[in-house]
Order: sequence, then structure tokens, then C-alpha cells
Amino acid sequence: MPEAAERKALESGLRRLNENMATLAELSELAIRKAIDGLRRLDPGVADDVFTLDEEIYALQLEIESTCVDLLALHAPVARDLRTITTSLKITTDLDRIGRYAKDIAELTLQFHAKESDHARNLGSIPQMAEMTIRLVDRAARAFVERDAESVRHIEEEDDSVDLLHEQAFHEIIGRMKTGELDAEVGARYILVSRYLERIADHAVNIGERVVYMVTGERAPRIRAAARAKGDRA
Amino acid sequence: MAVKIHVEGLSAWYGAKKAIQDIGMDFAEHEVTAIIGPSGCGKSTLIRCLNRMHETIPKARAEGKVLLDGEDIYELPAVTVRRRIGMVFQKANPFPTMSIYDNVAAGLRLNGERNRSKLDAGVLKSLKAAALWDEVKDSLDKGGAGLSGGQQQRLCIARALAVEPEVLLMDEPCSALDPIATAKIEDLIFDLKKGYTVVIVTHNMQQAARVADKTAFLYLGKLVEFKNTRDLFERPDQELTEKYITGRFG
Repeated sequence: MPEAAERKALESGLRRLNENMATLAELSELAIRKAIDGLRRLDPGVADDVFTLDEEIYALQLEIESTCVDLLALHAPVARDLRTITTSLKITTDLDRIGRYAKDIAELTLQFHAKESDHARNLGSIPQMAEMTIRLVDRAARAFVERDAESVRHIEEEDDSVDLLHEQAFHEIIGRMKTGELDAEVGARYILVSRYLERIADHAVNIGERVVYMVTGERAPRIRAAARAKGDRA
Repeated sequence: MAVKIHVEGLSAWYGAKKAIQDIGMDFAEHEVTAIIGPSGCGKSTLIRCLNRMHETIPKARAEGKVLLDGEDIYELPAVTVRRRIGMVFQKANPFPTMSIYDNVAAGLRLNGERNRSKLDAGVLKSLKAAALWDEVKDSLDKGGAGLSGGQQQRLCIARALAVEPEVLLMDEPCSALDPIATAKIEDLIFDLKKGYTVVIVTHNMQQAARVADKTAFLYLGKLVEFKNTRDLFERPDQELTEKYITGRFG
């Protein structure tokens, strides 16, 4: 095997890309953690932190995009380098979306009444869902940073549980809205929170799938949850 | 896709020096196959074995099988093999004292064609196929050496096509050309594969990625990896291939 040659400019660009991606993942995860913390405690003060994080995430996403475009245009990368760059480009969108949903949850938190007496009950399974979602985001981000395809190979199976909890929350809240126990506007906001968490978990799955491709070059087939339940995994 | 050339256990030497070792691969009909690898890895030797050009070098020899449509090329007359498998070289080499017309007609005349209208038709067809006709149709009697580098290379391609080969071997055909002339040759290769089987040796990885259906990576005379170009450049199986194509090669 010949000695490894250095490609200084490419290596340095890839290093910068990896560092920025790790930071972006941390910021997105922090945004969602803070948004959930603010929601649970009905603390409107957290919202500003989340809004700032969302802005930082967007700015970093733009910087990453520009690094990727430079690397693609100047070095015509192939193989692992190409997979790393294209995966980063795709994943930044997922991480940015996660930041946006965190911002949306923070905005909803501001609309809940500070002394909402039934808040804990209204949240229902949402805190549990939030825990699972944060865990998924953390696992996907870690897999990217550590180039670990195996830890996310079946990440979509865990997402099925989040989807299930979302369904439960939806029916529970709708049920209470129908009986007049829960104001429609307030209920709709809780449904939105649940929906945002479900979407965040989907983005974590996207990241996981992309990491598998980045590390192995394999594109995992997307299988519907119903088919997975029947054991049709390819 | 049908196999046009089947290579099996092919080794070649220059005197005592072994240049390629036990190569086995199939070249599919109407496909472009690129051969990449560092200088001295045996790329040119390999394609020169495909049309028996290797043996024209003193003390050079080859062993193994090269089947063209199932026929062993070493059992066919060398001239027949070279007519069916044409070659274009790194440096455009038009016959310097001949006109553009005569350069293209040379192969036809060598094959005994004397009929002027048949020669005219052959020259027209070949220059068109080489995407050069529009640029030289009013100056066919001028010297081929007066053309630009890119035009000279297309003239050489026209000359190779004139004898209606089935396979076209190209040994770094763009390495001496500017990007515009290179793009024209690459466009031409894209069109040529409809009627021919093309094998191209190239140092330019992006060129292999652009023009070839399949790519073979050679290192120290051995075939390291051979697969669909897209797969080879996106996810090579061999660490050695990954190192070479990503430029991390000492």
C-alpha cells in the first residue's frame, strides 16, 4: 500500500466542514432541549434563547453550504470525500429544520397561558415523546460525528414509537376538544407541539439514513412502518 | 450488454520486465470502458495488447487470451485485428505531408480501395463521425498538420474510423488538449459508443467519470477493481482504489 499523500487544501476544508457540522448538530440538539424544557415548565424566558439558537443555526448552515460548494467546485471530490460532502449538505437541512421546529415550539409556549392549570394533563404523553425525540436526534448526530453507521441502521424502528405516541396524543386531545373539556384553540396548539416533535424525529431518521450512506455507500430502502411491523425489512 | 472483448489471464512483458499480470476482464459492446491508474501501472500496455500493438515493440511479448467476439486475436492476422480494433494515441499524429482528405483516406487506400466516389463517401462519413466535417469541409486539400491540436486529434479519430473498426482504443486522447478541445472529444466519445466499443486510457479521473460506463483501476500491473463507473467513484470496494481516486496516494 503506498504512503498516504496529503491533499492539504481538501483536508483542511473537510476538517472545517466536520467541525462546523458537529457544532451545528450540537446547536440543533440544544435548541430542541431548551424548547422542551421551556414548554414543560411554561417558562417564556427560554424562548429568546431558542430564537437566538435558531439564528445561529441558520447562519452556520449557510457557512456549511458555502464550504461544501467550494469543496465540490475546487476539488471534484469522489468516493468517501464526496459522500461526506453531499451528506453534510443534506443533513444541514434536517438540522436546520429541527432548529426551526424548536423555534416553533418556543413560539407556542409563549401562547400558552402562564398559569395554565391543566398544562401537565394537556401535555399528556408529549414529554415522553420529547424524550424519545431528543434521544433520536442525539443518536443521529453522534452517529454522524463518529461515522458510526451501525448505531443508526435501524433508527426508523424507534421513530415508529414516536409516531405512535403522536397518534395517541392527537386522539386524546381531539377527544377532549369534542367534549368541550379543552378549548379548541388551546388543544390545537398541543397537537401542533406533538406534530413538531414527530417531524423532528423524522428528520433524525433522515440523518441516520444519510449517515449509513456516508459511511458505507449503501442507500437503505425506505420501508413503511406497517410493512416493518409485518417483518418485511429488507 | 454483449461482451465484445474478453480478456483472460493476460500478462505482458518488456524483455524481462512484467508490465501487466494475469488480467481478466470483459469489455462490453457499445460501452465506454475507462482504464485509470498511476503512471507505469500498465494501462497503455493493456490496451496495446488488445489490438496486438504490444508485440510490435522489440522484446515485448504477451501471454493469455484476448477474444474478439469469441475469436482469439492471436490466431487472427495482426492486420485484421488492427483493422477491427482501431487506436488513437496521446499525441495527435496525422501524416504530416498528407492533406486532410488523404489522411482519412489512407487506411481505405491501404485496404485496396481505389474507387474515388467510395473514398469520398468514406472520408465524408468518417469526418462527420469524428465531428470534424463542418470545420474542414472547405479545406480538405490542406495539410492535416495545419489544424489545431484538438482538430488534429479528431482527424486521427476520423482516420481510425475510416476503416470501420468495431472497437476504438484511445490512449490518453485529451492529455495534450485544452478544455474546449477536450470537451469536443468527450462529446464525440459519447456519440461514438452508439456504433463502437470504446476503451479509453486516461489520467484524468473526472474524464473517466464523465465518459465511461465502466472503469478499471490498475496498479503495479494488476487489475485492482473494475465496475460501473458511478459505483467505482462513489463507493469503491478496495481501499487502494479509494486512496488513488481521492488523491491520497504517495
